[in-house]
Amino acid sequence: MSEHILEIRHLSKCFGSHGVLTDIDFTVSAGDVTSIIGASGSGKSTLLRCINLLETPTGGEILYHGRPVTGANVNAAEYRSHVGMVFQSFNLFNNMTVLENCMVGQMKVLHKKKFEARERALYYLEKVGMTPYINARPRQISGGQKQRVAIARSLAMDPEVLLFDEPTSALDPEMVGEVLNVMRSLAADGMTMLVVTHEMAFARDVSKKVVYMNNGVICEQGTPEEIFGAPKRPETREFLSRFIGKSLD
Amino acid sequence: MDRFIKLGSDISLLWENYGSAYLGGMWSTLLLALVATVIGCMIGLLCGILNTIPYNEYTPRPKRFLLKLIRIIIRVYVEVFRGTPMVLQAVFIYYGLPYFSGNTMQFDNLWTAAILIVSINTGAYMAESVRGGIISIDPGQTEGAKAIGMTHFQTMTSVILPQALRNIMPQIGNNFIINVKDTSVMFIIGFTEFFAFHRYITGVNNMYFPSAAIEMAGYLCMTLIASFILRFIEKRMDGDDSYELVQGDQLVMSAGTYTHPDRGTPFDEYSKREGRLEKVKEGKRHKADMGGDRL
Repeated sequence: MSEHILEIRHLSKCFGSHGVLTDIDFTVSAGDVTSIIGASGSGKSTLLRCINLLETPTGGEILYHGRPVTGANVNAAEYRSHVGMVFQSFNLFNNMTVLENCMVGQMKVLHKKKFEARERALYYLEKVGMTPYINARPRQISGGQKQRVAIARSLAMDPEVLLFDEPTSALDPEMVGEVLNVMRSLAADGMTMLVVTHEMAFARDVSKKVVYMNNGVICEQGTPEEIFGAPKRPETREFLSRFIGKSLD
Repeated sequence: MDRFIKLGSDISLLWENYGSAYLGGMWSTLLLALVATVIGCMIGLLCGILNTIPYNEYTPRPKRFLLKLIRIIIRVYVEVFRGTPMVLQAVFIYYGLPYFSGNTMQFDNLWTAAILIVSINTGAYMAESVRGGIISIDPGQTEGAKAIGMTHFQTMTSVILPQALRNIMPQIGNNFIINVKDTSVMFIIGFTEFFAFHRYITGVNNMYFPSAAIEMAGYLCMTLIASFILRFIEKRMDGDDSYELVQGDQLVMSAGTYTHPDRGTPFDEYSKREGRLEKVKEGKRHKADMGGDRL
């Protein structure tokens, strides 16, 4: 059995009496690109937020390299620094420039020297094609550009896994492409990624594993060929048929 | 009309005799208000940080208890000092200390006492302003900071408070201006600020109205200048409206000017040298750094 980076076991989450996630089980291994698809409100985002401990799971456990990440003696901040997250609403720090956004985490959390942090930030900003804008503030650049900076900011922390929470849902259609291209190139570089997305073409072409969620449970999971080619469950088939009208490329 | 001429001559008479006293009083008032507002802001920021430390069911019981206790203490502090007049707080603290310590402890310096009292009072108001400022920041900012592994303290000091501070600058200005005026109640413990000189001077010569006119003009001067400076600071905090595009030679860039610092590069020596250069020339040299032309 290969070493799993993340193991999610019987995870559940309730807001009050309302159960959002029930008995979620899956694993993430190094180099995997896993897409989580499903209708709005099916708990995809909550699952991702639970994995990054932005929400506290109400049951089950999350193992990071075999060690539980919830509990009394766990340093959540330390764990989060290994698990990057890209948000639907970018969440760039508004009080800093693009370059500073990518440097602050390295300097404060990883205690890197300023010039080292700068060099790394520039490397990743170049990777996402944002080098010309390093002096801009988040309010001065477009959504797609913000998201690319957010990806560079996460990458600069050298995370083992990168979580994407609907990274293209808040973008204008013409900007979706630039962000997806960055994500495709990351996947090609062997980055371990867990992507919540409505971009079916991306899920089909890039991911190694697809998880379909429905009403807070994992309805079906498998390779893209299995899920998109021959879905076993009627819910999956019905969900995918709604996307058939749209072309998958 | 002659009344105004009379007023003018009275004022110039007062100013000739007591001008330096008035100016000295203004200086004390400004200094006290400024120092107390700054300390008050720091108290407010500290309360803001302490008040927002998150806890959940996984937090160890003693820590959770401590955090709850801190919140209760801050709440009581805010309610007590916001809910009583500063003039009474001054008497209460200034005379209370020797009363309770049996005269072994007292304020040997009026400045210390005045700064302490006004700071504590301002701190209570600022704690609430800071709380409001923190609430006004999009929770996404906190999540973004948490997601890259920042602790609560780092999140607060690097991301949330700088933004919250910008949002509460008008409140800080408010507090400063209120302090400029309200320090006048410090005469109760014998602190000689601007207003105290009015009491002293009119006690000597009964020229209440001309002296009050000078005081009015003096206070207005101080607060107007303060407003002006605060606006200027706010503008500065907003940063530039525009930014410079950093143009580099695209060919050189795509040839890999920036290589991963940990993974070694054919330009190792160069990148190390540049690192050293960076230290010396800290500053806005992005432009020069971008192109590979220095190779």
